[in-house]
Amino acid sequence: MRDALRLRGVTRRFGPVTALDQVDFALAPGEIHGLLGENGAGKTTLARVAAGILQPDAGQVVIGGEPLGARGVGGARALGVAMVHQHFSLVPRFTGLENVALFDSAAWTRRGTGSPGYRERVEARAEELGLEVQLDVQVGGLGVVERQRVEILKALMGETRVLLLDEPTAVLAPQEVEGLFAVLRQVARAGAGIVLVAHKLDEVLAVADRVTVLRRGRWVLTGEAAGVSARELAEAIVGAGVDGGGGGVGGGDAGGPGTVGGGGEDAPKVGAAGAEQAPEPRPGDDVEVARLRAVTVSTGGPIPLRGVSMEVRRGEILGIAGVGGNGQRTLAAVLAGMLPPDSGEVQLPEEVGWIPLDRTEEGLVNEFTISENVALAVHGSDDYRRGPWLDWAGVAETAAALVRDMDVRADSSATQAGVLSGGNQQKVVTGREFLRSGELLVAESPTRGLDVKATVAVRARIAALARSGKRPPGVVLISSDLDEILELSDRIAVMVRGRLIPVPREDHNPTAIGELMLSARGDGDP
Amino acid sequence: MAEFGALSSSFLVAAVGLGVPLALAALGETVSERAGVINIGLEGSVIWGALGGALGALALGPYGGLAAGALAGGLAALVFAAFAVWLNTDQIITGTAVTIGSLGFTGAVFQSRFGATGLALELPTVPAWEVPVLARIPVVGPAFFDQAVTAYLAYLLVPVLGWFLFRTRRGLSLRAVGESPEAANAAGVPVVRTRMLAVVFAGLTAGLAGAHLSLVHTGTFAENMSAGKGFIAIAVVVLGRWNPKGVVAAALFFGGAEALQFALQAVDADLPYPLFLALPYVLSLAALAGWFGRSRAPEGLASAWPRG
Amino acid sequence: MSTRTRALTPALTAAAALLATLAVAAALLALGGYPPGDAFAALFRGAFGTWDRFVSFTLVRATPLLLTGLAVALAFKARVWNIGAEGQLHAGALAAVAVAVALPGAPGFLVIPATLLAAAAAGALWASAPAAMKTGMGVGEVITTLLMNFVALFMAQFLVQGPLRESRGVFNQTDEIPPAAHLPDLVPGTRLHLGFLIGILIAIALWLYLTRTPGGFRLRAVGASPQAAEVSGRFRAQPVVWLAFLASGAIAGLAGGVQVAGVTHRMYEGLSPGWGYTAIAVALLARLNPLAVVVTAIVFGALSAGGGAMQRDAGVPEVWVRGIEALVILAVLTVDRSWQALASRGSRG
Repeated sequence: MRDALRLRGVTRRFGPVTALDQVDFALAPGEIHGLLGENGAGKTTLARVAAGILQPDAGQVVIGGEPLGARGVGGARALGVAMVHQHFSLVPRFTGLENVALFDSAAWTRRGTGSPGYRERVEARAEELGLEVQLDVQVGGLGVVERQRVEILKALMGETRVLLLDEPTAVLAPQEVEGLFAVLRQVARAGAGIVLVAHKLDEVLAVADRVTVLRRGRWVLTGEAAGVSARELAEAIVGAGVDGGGGGVGGGDAGGPGTVGGGGEDAPKVGAAGAEQAPEPRPGDDVEVARLRAVTVSTGGPIPLRGVSMEVRRGEILGIAGVGGNGQRTLAAVLAGMLPPDSGEVQLPEEVGWIPLDRTEEGLVNEFTISENVALAVHGSDDYRRGPWLDWAGVAETAAALVRDMDVRADSSATQAGVLSGGNQQKVVTGREFLRSGELLVAESPTRGLDVKATVAVRARIAALARSGKRPPGVVLISSDLDEILELSDRIAVMVRGRLIPVPREDHNPTAIGELMLSARGDGDP
Repeated sequence: MAEFGALSSSFLVAAVGLGVPLALAALGETVSERAGVINIGLEGSVIWGALGGALGALALGPYGGLAAGALAGGLAALVFAAFAVWLNTDQIITGTAVTIGSLGFTGAVFQSRFGATGLALELPTVPAWEVPVLARIPVVGPAFFDQAVTAYLAYLLVPVLGWFLFRTRRGLSLRAVGESPEAANAAGVPVVRTRMLAVVFAGLTAGLAGAHLSLVHTGTFAENMSAGKGFIAIAVVVLGRWNPKGVVAAALFFGGAEALQFALQAVDADLPYPLFLALPYVLSLAALAGWFGRSRAPEGLASAWPRG
Repeated sequence: MSTRTRALTPALTAAAALLATLAVAAALLALGGYPPGDAFAALFRGAFGTWDRFVSFTLVRATPLLLTGLAVALAFKARVWNIGAEGQLHAGALAAVAVAVALPGAPGFLVIPATLLAAAAAGALWASAPAAMKTGMGVGEVITTLLMNFVALFMAQFLVQGPLRESRGVFNQTDEIPPAAHLPDLVPGTRLHLGFLIGILIAIALWLYLTRTPGGFRLRAVGASPQAAEVSGRFRAQPVVWLAFLASGAIAGLAGGVQVAGVTHRMYEGLSPGWGYTAIAVALLARLNPLAVVVTAIVFGALSAGGGAMQRDAGVPEVWVRGIEALVILAVLTVDRSWQALASRGSRG
């Protein structure tokens, strides 16, 4: 049987970095093929090469027996390749129908208006796939799940031989993942080959027929999903022994002792709030550092807050779970003191550390050095002034200490933030925000987009901060990643449609929290 | 009363005549901005159009002049596009440079051809065509239907562009490029090529607008005669909300503002004319301040897009 | 890239851009039927031929370019696209003349500061309209500052033809400002006036401000990323944008005041041959570094001083200078883009 997709010796470089190094890959028609690897392992690059978005520097892409050559996205489309991007490739101000039509070469005739019956055809296809899609609303106004449905429908409108999905489950609650997988199984039954890029092993193993692992741009293994264990795969992914509990992940040339810190003795000594022997203050020594009472915000963000009450104590991590876009951003802005509420009571420390969702756009100025990025937090402080001048020497000293304490892999504090890896960027932001306030730290999806090693390291840093010294900060961890919430949090609440629902300790498990995350969906106003 | 009728009729004729070059340039720029490129160098296309029109008309007659003007404007836009789209340089700075250079080099060409003294040049002009029945409609008839061919081209462009942008697949692709080049690229739309073509199209219409200035409006060429028409056209696009119908309405409105100065001078010659010259610019600013809040530019306007 | 090469890059960029400009300009001149060698030689002689050519022409013409160049550099640093230095300069010149003429008997130490302050205030005022439209209504400043230039030009025309017209009523120009308001000479025996020194002092002050003070740091942060400035810097970007607009407008207005008080001693139509636009090339070639603006302003001052000589001695129309300015901007953009392509090839992945 002819392969739906075949890559032969594909190499793709970005400057000195080889993202794909002579990779062979085969996808059979009707199979679901999981593609695993750390961030930067080359998964997304492989998918983008197969979709014709990137040209390989060497090697060949063959689709259904026909070499793609240099025909690009259009050529791959014509051969039946479709891709669902991680950051959706939708035009926000187009309606669902327009977005589908943009992608669908058969949609619009030369005569002008959408060919008669096209809309009906789209509706029929959506129904066939069991996708509920709103066609007449601008997709920018839709929730992330609805947008993903448009993205999938768009990809599957034409004749599809190969469907590539890049991290499609990252934005979904557990129950929604199952719905997506049902669609994928149906598409595979119809004969298309599916490449599922993901980093959650259990999810991939639940749906895939075969899996392939990439590491540092090289092929590592391919095997039947039924025949490999999660542990074997994890080892293949990171390249050495794995200790599931978040302990030392060694190996690889970026590793080494001290990469990953777990307990209190590894607490970063940033700023003045140094940690001598951490006296295990958890679960909070009952000193409240922040309190919200019936806080309502209806302006300043697309998702309002409706009567949110919470308190944060010293030395505890309060996890706030929820599907993105349910008011988390608004809550973070209120907690950071950036957004005054319309009503309700807010008590906050003078300064609050905030690790924002988007580290490259909001957390850092990419063209600034690490020192200058640290200065963003301290430039107003009298400690860093000499008369009218900013004390750059003092800032550089603090930045150097941060680089050391947070284990940032950089030449020096004069290194540009933009050239750091995602994990190191996040360590800079985390250290800086802790520097800003030793009282309250708000972390918004702090490990989003990080690879396994960096994720472990950043989580460990946050955990260590919350246990540091006699006056540890309270931490509010906002994340849509349930594993992260469950791993780090002392208490958990779920954010749904602008409300905050506390989760009792006995319900601290994925199923119960997942149900809560979806519970109030679609209900109207109170 | 009859006098007022005659006055308002001649005012309208002037308003349409002055609005046409703005409409032509702005309609082209609408397409360019819908594709995500703001071309401050439009002013350069207008002045090249005026000079190209003048040189073309001397060699080939008035209609050849119009074609040459459009071509010259298109070439200036091609230079802009080569930098701002193909090399992906900053659109605003590139456009400013193209405008400065165009004003300089058109002056250089003009002086080398006609001497530095700038003796008043007399060009063959494009005559008005009267549309048989429509021109008889009182007041508006002569204003709209006794104009040069450029006016009819502008009228024609409105429905054609409306159909193209909102009813065709290529129009959909072009708008996608302007809203989100990433999404358009992922859908297989060639972003760079689309933007290049859109910019050059705007250059052609802006060049035609320039040729209208030299071959319809004045019958001569003078250095810097574009006098900011290209800039006003960009404001007109904003006021017309990136929609051909709105754009042509806004262009006529500004034509009216310019015509006002002639009408009022006819009434009282002592009125300070520089203030009336400033009027269209002041009105542009006022209209931008008043209207902009309710309109939205394409999201990818002035966005960078690297090749490859 | 090593620290050393990174420090050298701006200078290399400028040099490469100038070389590219020379090559293209030479080709275009040859195409236009002018021997490029003769034209460049005449241009060079006109700008640097004698001490007096250099000081009384090149440096005198560099002065308004220095000030407007600093105005543009400051605004662009905050990513405020102020294309309106030309209009702000005119507003400043008008205000300077109005104030100086209104204080006929006052001594120099009073009237000169008053004149220059009025110029700066008028420039800031002229910039405040686009600033309000950008911050209050979200109207892009590119178009508004451009349109304000035309309004300023016509307003100047109106004033010198009417309310401020000279008392003998011959030409469309204002009365001469009183001698006490004239800026003193900087180099005896030349026409170079105090304005050049003012420009250099402002360049140094701006450089210190941008690199050494919290306020300048905030301005750079807003220019680099307004979102990061607000979220991570915890300060509102809007006041910084206002500051950049007003300071930029004030410096451009000062350019007009300095020109009137130091050179023309009166206001007339066509005071500026487009310094406010040339300033963009000056600032870009300097990579927005205030100290480098001093050098690039002199380069463009030389171009302007040599342009007349080029017309006289080589028969090349002076308008060519405008074209060459545009070539410089395009060359800087191109060379810059090439560096970036090289650098990103080194770091992307």
